[in-house]
Amino acid sequence: MAHILVVDDDVLIRVMVTKMLENDGHRVTTALDGAEGLRLFREDPPDLVLADIIMPTLEGLQLIKTMKQIRDDIPIVAVSGGSRHISMVDNLNLAEIAGAEATLPKPFTKKELNAALIRAVS
Amino acid sequence: MPGLHVTTEQRYSTLLQQVIFAPNLNAREEFLAEAFELGRGALSQDAIPPDELVAIHHNAILCFSQKNPDMKLCDVVDLLTLPLIEMSMAYGMSFREQLEKQYRALLDKRLQESHRLEAVGTLAAGIAHEFNNLLCSIIGFSELAFEGLSDEEPAKESIQQVLVASLRARDLVSTMLQLARKNSGLPSEEIDLISEINSVIKLVDVREKKLEINFSSGVPNAFITAKPGQIQQIILNLCINAADAMEHCGTIDINIESTTSDECLTGVGESAICITISDQGTGIPPEVQEQIFNPFFTTKEPGKGTGLGLSVVHRMVEDLGGRILVESRTTGGNNGTDFRIILPFVDKDKRGTSCQKKCSLYKAHNHGG
Ligand SMILES: Nc1ncnc2c1ncn2[C@@H]1O[C@H](COP(=O)(O)OP(=O)(O)OP(=O)(O)O)[C@@H](O)[C@H]1O
Ligand SMILES: [Mg+2]
Repeated sequence: MAHILVVDDDVLIRVMVTKMLENDGHRVTTALDGAEGLRLFREDPPDLVLADIIMPTLEGLQLIKTMKQIRDDIPIVAVSGGSRHISMVDNLNLAEIAGAEATLPKPFTKKELNAALIRAVS
Repeated sequence: MPGLHVTTEQRYSTLLQQVIFAPNLNAREEFLAEAFELGRGALSQDAIPPDELVAIHHNAILCFSQKNPDMKLCDVVDLLTLPLIEMSMAYGMSFREQLEKQYRALLDKRLQESHRLEAVGTLAAGIAHEFNNLLCSIIGFSELAFEGLSDEEPAKESIQQVLVASLRARDLVSTMLQLARKNSGLPSEEIDLISEINSVIKLVDVREKKLEINFSSGVPNAFITAKPGQIQQIILNLCINAADAMEHCGTIDINIESTTSDECLTGVGESAICITISDQGTGIPPEVQEQIFNPFFTTKEPGKGTGLGLSVVHRMVEDLGGRILVESRTTGGNNGTDFRIILPFVDKDKRGTSCQKKCSLYKAHNHGG
């Protein structure tokens, strides 16, 4: 059981991922943009972060970089469904460069979500 | 007389090859001038029938535009054809009209095709983010609902169907995204065709119990330059099509050979590799053949095919600087289809200066987009 911070601008995704993670016994906090995510990250440091990169621009990348500067021991999973200007493969590559331990393309199944969490902490 | 035809034609087409692969503009001009000198003579002596000449040009234009992706097709046509039209004026307006009509049709078709592909790619990339988010919720909530229901609950099976459908939608979006050219950030590398094809065969073997695949290679070191996964995707798509055409029962032959017969690629000091995938299926009638590479063209029932397989294959082969050809028989006892893919060859044994030059040429081409 871990404390997981979920940052995503899509409310449906926040609700869904929260349910999935809570069903597995995790504690979940959610943020709808980079600023809120960063505030929660500082106030109540999680064990793991699940961050969407496109919200709706590439601000998730900056978020990952900043979080890594604050605490580089907290693993981050970067999530992306691609965007108008940059492909999914490319922005997930960028997220790894920014410091994310694991990446997860959208849409994902519960199994894929769990696998990404395990990749990030191992 | 027929013997003479062949040699003049061959000389003529070789000259056009030299135009295509000319190292610089001056050389290109020289070869062009020489080609038209020969063409003029040949026409006046009836050594090359006009429609043969048109066919040779038709090929040359396709190759030239493939070799020079940055050049507009209309400029290519101008470069290779205008002098020919001029010189043929003396031989009557009808020839000129025939030429122009053919090139206009070719231009239109290629333009239409590239516009359609572009439109699909842009559309897919444009909605990818939103669409993937929506799909993500559909998949996730269905899974949650599924888990929350006990096995007796009749709704459980319905939810399962929602899941299956949404996973199919996910595949469709990812296929459409592959149509957008710059979809892969991975760099190109040297790829071993034989091991790539073997891995696809394993995959198909698991899915297709009544299908046999014969694979043979006449080239021990079949290396080409490609992005990881590209070759597998190409071969897999062609094998699935072949399996469908044979109703999942029969033999697919895959064969690799080195080739110098494809003049368009091999011309001057280039070597190429040819992968042939043959089936004994229904075959493709000529009027269908014209459309098979169009995105969303399918003859399969709804749900059985999206019509994207071959357009993805076509796009990838073009990206690799290669060509794809189809030959099909729909009548008689030996009906079936051969897809031939011709790709630039990295010759491991003969890797010297000439090969280095060739590799950098393909790199330039690949990274140009
Ligand atoms: N080996 C083959 N034999 C006979 N017909 C073929 C063969 N390969 C392709 N075709 C024809 O070309 C059409 C287009 O093929 P393509 O792979 O693009 O789409 P599809 O197979 O219908 O759907 P998808 O590949 O997206 O599942 C097919 O519907 C079929 O009519
Ligand atoms: Mg297909």
